[in-house]
Amino acid sequence: MNILSQSIDGEAVTTKLAMRMEDSLQAFAVRAACFMGELDVPFSEEFDGHDFGATHVIAYVGEEPAGAVRVRWFQSFAMLERLAVIQRYRGHSIGQVLLERCRKLAEGRGCNMLYVQALPGDVSYWEKLGWRRLVPEEAGSGAKRIVAMIKAVDPSKPLPEVEAPESVVLRPEPQLDSSGRPLGSASN
Amino acid sequence: MAVPQIAGISNQPVVTIKLASTSDELMQCYALRAAVYMGEQHCPYWEEFDGNDYTASHLVLYVDGEPAAAMRLRWFASFAKFERAVILKRYRSMGLFMPFVEWAKDFARKKGYAKAYLHSQHRLWKIMERGGFRKVDDRVFHFSDHEYGAFVCDLTSPDCEVPTIFTDPMLLNRPEDRLDMPGVLEQSMERGASNPHAGWNDDRRAN
Repeated sequence: MNILSQSIDGEAVTTKLAMRMEDSLQAFAVRAACFMGELDVPFSEEFDGHDFGATHVIAYVGEEPAGAVRVRWFQSFAMLERLAVIQRYRGHSIGQVLLERCRKLAEGRGCNMLYVQALPGDVSYWEKLGWRRLVPEEAGSGAKRIVAMIKAVDPSKPLPEVEAPESVVLRPEPQLDSSGRPLGSASN
Repeated sequence: MAVPQIAGISNQPVVTIKLASTSDELMQCYALRAAVYMGEQHCPYWEEFDGNDYTASHLVLYVDGEPAAAMRLRWFASFAKFERAVILKRYRSMGLFMPFVEWAKDFARKKGYAKAYLHSQHRLWKIMERGGFRKVDDRVFHFSDHEYGAFVCDLTSPDCEVPTIFTDPMLLNRPEDRLDMPGVLEQSMERGASNPHAGWNDDRRAN
């Protein structure tokens, strides 16, 4: 296991679950800074309608919100998304601190698999952290290409090398209509 | 004040400006500010979200329905202070800034304000002067890693009635960016004054 930074310049690195509106706002602000400010993602894609069915974990350096990640809970796995660390705090393993907090959270819920949809350029980052590809090929095309990756919640019980369970098969994020139903689904 | 300020024609993008009036719209303002100030200008969270967001009015500008720019207005006794004006990177050089500031000025004017005041980053001083603002004095001050000067703009009287304490009370109850249109409380007048909690006073007196 990597040794994770416990402090940066004397400021403690801590994590917490978003439990109040202000906490959520901090998670959203970190994501807006990284995804909208740096990567030019439009608001409507970044805030996709799944934020209120998810758990948000925030990392702090001292009092300052420095990173965030979103966890969505599925029947057989936990999906980690929107991992972001504010630019000036990068290089201190804050991403790993967040992921470890998510792993423990999943463990506490009896969940045994973590799942991410990684950008092709980030695959080596995830592999270094012990993740592996779910299927050899990538999905999507162009800028939307993604690689499905998984990791066991309990490192002493690696996931068996079997075909992906039906529920983990990669599928595109559903686009939601204004009432929260997937676009194109039957109304009422 | 009509909500769509700049009507789109043909294939021009449709630009709309409104007062943030729901938590979603407020959230959009915060996200835009986080993107620009925290993401691009490396402002710390606690300086960007300084505690004044809940004493302010927030404006949001949309381009084809997508949140593109935001501004915060605070109301002092003799002037309105314009703050936290941001345009998302991809929407810059569309000439949105001046129309947005003009909309804010018009908003302040219709609330009865005669002066708009702001702190401008040094690099934007020329632009502010073109927008009708002038420096308050020669002071240059700095906070959050930038140099600022204080600017003021005299607002002309609006062509509508400015609210006073003698204005029709129901007009003062209207949504503030639509003072010329009937609001939800005027519709509620149809229900009459049934005083549904009448009689509670005796029973519910604080001990």
